[in-house]
Amino acid sequence: MKALGSKFSFYAGFVVGTFALYLFLRQLWYERAATASSSNYDKIHDYQLHLEQDRKVWKKDRSALFNLEHPHHTGEDSRMADELYKKVRILCWVMTGPNNLEKKTRHVKATWSRHCNVVVFMSSVDDPDFPTVGLGTKEGRDQLYWKTIRAFHYVYEHHRHEADWFLKADDDTYVIVDNLRWVLSNHTPEEPIYFGRRFKPYTKQGYMSGGAGYVLSKEALKRYVEGFKSKTCTHTTSVEDLAMGQCMEKVGVLAGDSRDTALRETFHPFVPEQHLTSKFPKSFWYWSYCYYPISEGPNCCSDISVSFHYVDSSLMYLLEYYTYHLRAFGYKYRYNPPISSVYKGVLEAPPAPAMDQQDQVRDLAQDQKPVQEAEEAHVEGH
Amino acid sequence: MTSPKNLQSRTVHARETWAKRCDVTLYMSSTETAFPTVALNVSEGRENLYWKTIRAFQYIHDKHLDQADWFFKADDDTFVVVENLHLILSSFNPEEPYYLGRRFSPFVKQGYMSGGAGYVLSKEALRRFVKGFETGECTHFSSIEDMALGKCMETMKVPVVDTRDVLGRHTFHPFPLDKYVIRKPPGPQAWHMIYDHYPVIEGPDCCSDYAVSFHYIRPVQMYMLQYMTYHLRPFAYKYRF
Repeated sequence: MKALGSKFSFYAGFVVGTFALYLFLRQLWYERAATASSSNYDKIHDYQLHLEQDRKVWKKDRSALFNLEHPHHTGEDSRMADELYKKVRILCWVMTGPNNLEKKTRHVKATWSRHCNVVVFMSSVDDPDFPTVGLGTKEGRDQLYWKTIRAFHYVYEHHRHEADWFLKADDDTYVIVDNLRWVLSNHTPEEPIYFGRRFKPYTKQGYMSGGAGYVLSKEALKRYVEGFKSKTCTHTTSVEDLAMGQCMEKVGVLAGDSRDTALRETFHPFVPEQHLTSKFPKSFWYWSYCYYPISEGPNCCSDISVSFHYVDSSLMYLLEYYTYHLRAFGYKYRYNPPISSVYKGVLEAPPAPAMDQQDQVRDLAQDQKPVQEAEEAHVEGH
Repeated sequence: MTSPKNLQSRTVHARETWAKRCDVTLYMSSTETAFPTVALNVSEGRENLYWKTIRAFQYIHDKHLDQADWFFKADDDTFVVVENLHLILSSFNPEEPYYLGRRFSPFVKQGYMSGGAGYVLSKEALRRFVKGFETGECTHFSSIEDMALGKCMETMKVPVVDTRDVLGRHTFHPFPLDKYVIRKPPGPQAWHMIYDHYPVIEGPDCCSDYAVSFHYIRPVQMYMLQYMTYHLRPFAYKYRF
């Protein structure tokens, strides 16, 4: 009995001792991990700071995000960009769904959509936190045009006075909004016109690729909404971009030419790598769809390209760095897009008449003028 | 630094994009071709990398020393923005010994420069490197070319340089951009950043606007990077510096 008792107390003591040692060591490991991962706490702290800064930049109002200040980076003279930002106001609405918010849409929110004047995320479900607008549809490819119709109607009803141009993009489209402002600066929002990557089949004047994004003027949006009211436009097909093109044609909205003055495309239905290096097979639909002649290789894409499609979340951040940051020091760009005279400080002039090819080539040869003026302005600001 | 089997698959794309922006470009290989490549008296393979480097620098010292002030080594899968390299080098005197690149801390006390990201030797540093092998102060003690060269630089008293920009962002990158600019969830430091001497910040502050190099770039990406650097830009911004 006594032997059993002492054996028992030995084992019990052993267990208690091990447990106590474990507790002691755990505290030690925890402390060591805490100091090693103090950078983790820093990261969380940074994230909270980031959220606070976000609140200064964005105002959330009625399920839309209003940009309070035009994004700047130190070391940039963005006076012209700021002017354009005030004069060419763009509302971006992004076609998305509840399943994509975490995977895709929040990266759109973190990158290019910051450069829009107003952003609205359109979904089938209301989400006041993100925020997304619930359009009252279901999800799925067959619902795409219903979502588009309702989205444009929503934007017309709630935001038509807050912007001049209305851009539709997908949650895998990357848009360089400052370059879109260049394309639009040569037109006024009172013109019934819309821009994008122009496709030719099925319609007389062509239609704009949905994935590459397209932008309607205020007048075009008004005619779109009225077209549905008067039953001129209806839900013709679930192929959203084609249906939009058919309606635009019916209500007399012009399909604009979004190419730059060197006739290079600005809206792109694929990622930059594919446009720059892929040799699309001749049987690929792309060849027969494009309204304007296709250039493969470096001439595919304007220096001031506006959009790319099928851009995954990582590529969003890469493109943001490549566009707004990476550059060669001291490199003078060979192509300098002319600035519309409206924004050179001259009083409002009637929109320039459409130029034929000869005039455009001549205009390109005269690009010395804007460079000199740009340099003078730069010297002033310095 | 290239090899016969990479000429048509990789090196030609480097030549078509960034390599022509250098004042003198030499393609170091084991055999002479009409590419044009220089034949170093070395066979191919990872274990011969440092031999190739040594022979390449000796060749340059013999034949091309007067044609340039700075001597930059890159791989055939490195993309380089040569203008930004000019920017960094413009503040240094090539007659002084300098050794620049992406500084790694282990193995060498003053650190060594990542081979893949590319590194630069000043004219004086190149002279000292070649002299080191003549006098036997530097030897082929390892085939790990960047580390071994770093050790030789330390032996020959060539100081390292901090190549980060005024905001503390890195300019030479031993990996493609997505390894740095995409933030990872909090956790132990990523394996590819363990060697870095200076702290690496993930996210948009990782990389200078005037980045000099990216490594592990696939051939098609060379054209994409060239478009991004020299063409694509946001309209109406004038950069001050």
